[in-house]
Amino acid sequence: MRIAAGVDVGSTQTKAVILSDDDGMKILARSLVDTGANVQKAAERAFDKCCAEAGMQTADVGYIVGTGYGRYKIAFGNTQVTEISCHAKGAQFLSPAIRTVIDMGGQDSKAISVGPIGEVLDFVMNDKCAAGTGRFLANAAEVMGIGLDEIGPLSLKATRPVKIATVCTVFVESDILSYLAQGKKGEDILGGVHLAIAKRTVSLARRLNIEPEVTMTGGVARNIGMVRALEEVLGRKIEISPDAHFMGALGAALFAINKLDQSFEFGTWKGDHANRGGH
Amino acid sequence: MTEKTEYRGSIHQRQKDLMLAWYEKLDRAANTGDPPTVSMMISGNCVELLEGFGAVPIYPEVNALQLAIRHQSLDPILAAEELGYAADNCAYVKADIGCMLKGITPTGGKLPTPTLILCNFVGCNTYLKWFEHTAKITGAPLYVIDIPFMRTDEPMKADVEYVVRQLHETVQKLEQLTGREFDFERFRQAVDCSRRTEDLWSQIKHLARSRPSPFDAYFDAITLMGPLYVHRAKPEGVEFFEAALAELKAKRDAGQGVYEKEHYRLVMEGPPPYPYFRTFRDMFAKWQACAVASTYSTVGGLWEFGFRHDPDKPFESVALHMLEQNVTNRNYLQRYEQIRRYVEEWNADGIIIHFVKSCRLFSAGQGDMRDYFTKQLGIPTLYIESDLEDPRYFSEAQIRTRIDAFFESLEHSKATAHWT
Repeated sequence: MRIAAGVDVGSTQTKAVILSDDDGMKILARSLVDTGANVQKAAERAFDKCCAEAGMQTADVGYIVGTGYGRYKIAFGNTQVTEISCHAKGAQFLSPAIRTVIDMGGQDSKAISVGPIGEVLDFVMNDKCAAGTGRFLANAAEVMGIGLDEIGPLSLKATRPVKIATVCTVFVESDILSYLAQGKKGEDILGGVHLAIAKRTVSLARRLNIEPEVTMTGGVARNIGMVRALEEVLGRKIEISPDAHFMGALGAALFAINKLDQSFEFGTWKGDHANRGGH
Repeated sequence: MTEKTEYRGSIHQRQKDLMLAWYEKLDRAANTGDPPTVSMMISGNCVELLEGFGAVPIYPEVNALQLAIRHQSLDPILAAEELGYAADNCAYVKADIGCMLKGITPTGGKLPTPTLILCNFVGCNTYLKWFEHTAKITGAPLYVIDIPFMRTDEPMKADVEYVVRQLHETVQKLEQLTGREFDFERFRQAVDCSRRTEDLWSQIKHLARSRPSPFDAYFDAITLMGPLYVHRAKPEGVEFFEAALAELKAKRDAGQGVYEKEHYRLVMEGPPPYPYFRTFRDMFAKWQACAVASTYSTVGGLWEFGFRHDPDKPFESVALHMLEQNVTNRNYLQRYEQIRRYVEEWNADGIIIHFVKSCRLFSAGQGDMRDYFTKQLGIPTLYIESDLEDPRYFSEAQIRTRIDAFFESLEHSKATAHWT
């Protein structure tokens, strides 16, 4: 039995997943901590928490792959793989029919075309500003004095969503304040906010060939309002895994298992056909 | 796996010596008024014409990039912004204007007030305003050579005549300003030197078709580009490129590449982010990825497909070079074709497009360019964004993630290629 872990150090939250390949691939534990100012410490906390959750010592984990923007800061990790490869790998592992991944995180969003064995065929990312990301939603929630977990469900009640002209994370605040001053309903403002991001994200994703099935990953996938808005703009159903938030860490853990069985190493790829009965 | 390989042969020292000698000439001109100097844009420059007057070129772009690579570009950029230049104005312009205001030069020497500001704008119409402002600040006379943009596959006869006519007017202008008579024979000899330099440069470019390539046709090519603009039309330019060709040919014959093992071969589109030149290069070195061709190295002239200056038709060939044989005056379809040929004939695995934030003119349309290569031709193409001069646009973590993910994906497809 091989045990491996993936640690995804995101801009807002750090996630860890521990996997075992005993009796098929099995997730033994997941953990989630806020990243905060110390990226290295956040990775340690997430990993320790995950080990405790799995009821094992850190030494029991045979290989650790780091991912996310803080991947090079993980002192205890064995190697690093980008979150783009990890999200593709994780999403396709959980649902083999997935061909397009929309990953919306705290500070960036990406669209990824995925091949039949979880490989990245192509990808696009947002510009380096935080427009169209989780931070945009967090700012909107703060201005309106509503919890981040509540804005999604509330946005679904919108009957006449307002038009949010800006996608700038800073300027959206003045847009919202002006709508509040006009007496617009909270749900209609939030409906507009979600639609604005959905439109921006879909226009980004359309630079790729959007093939079904489509899934959404990253922290914002927990926001049901965002999922519905994306489905509306995209005109198709989006699959959401309960592990959407952990997809980067899961993909990293899968790469780590591959490292242990030597089916994968960047630079000396041997393919993971062994896991899938050959090609 | 971090590999920091950079080729340092004798040509690097020769290049430094040549460029330093140029800056010393400019410093002398600033102090004594001799030799006469002419400001020009690199792309489509007519440096041969200047030789007919013993005049020396000033390239504001070279000054700007020298500052950026030495991490000195932000101060002059901020000085220009204080004056009212907008955040999205060309950062080369701002760095240049800021330098003039603050009296900064990359070498610490003086830059002269040009005898003539010759606006040979090709494709980049920002240059018109840039040189108008330069003329206003320095008080130097401005003359604009209007180069029609490429609207057809070949330059139209009328366009060539139009440019030749303006070159003759430039000669008259320079005769008045320098008080020197135009030396036609010296001009013709300069055109002949250019022909020989271009032939050598083209041979160097073709060496990169070997596997492994003996040099990086993006990062290393930049070392050779300064002498190409400044010394192309002089015997010392010919000598420099003879030495460069011999050195790189020896590397090629010995089977020496840029890296211990050349894992990937790339075509690069767009200029590099000069303020983070080393960091950016290391991102590719990590994957042992070598550029085998680049469009940026054809900004000053496109010679690997056969064009040469012609001493038997000096004015006409200078006009043709200005019209067609430099990347910035070529239309998008010609740019697509140039890159496609590089990928096919230089055997590349993928394309990197570097979008320059402060150069909408040259970068606009690169999203479509990416679509063309990925969707229509199926060539893996990465699109990244920062700036050639302004350090504020470079987001290291984001760019590193894009580059790493691109190579992870290439790694995957290379390894699985035999299955499909």
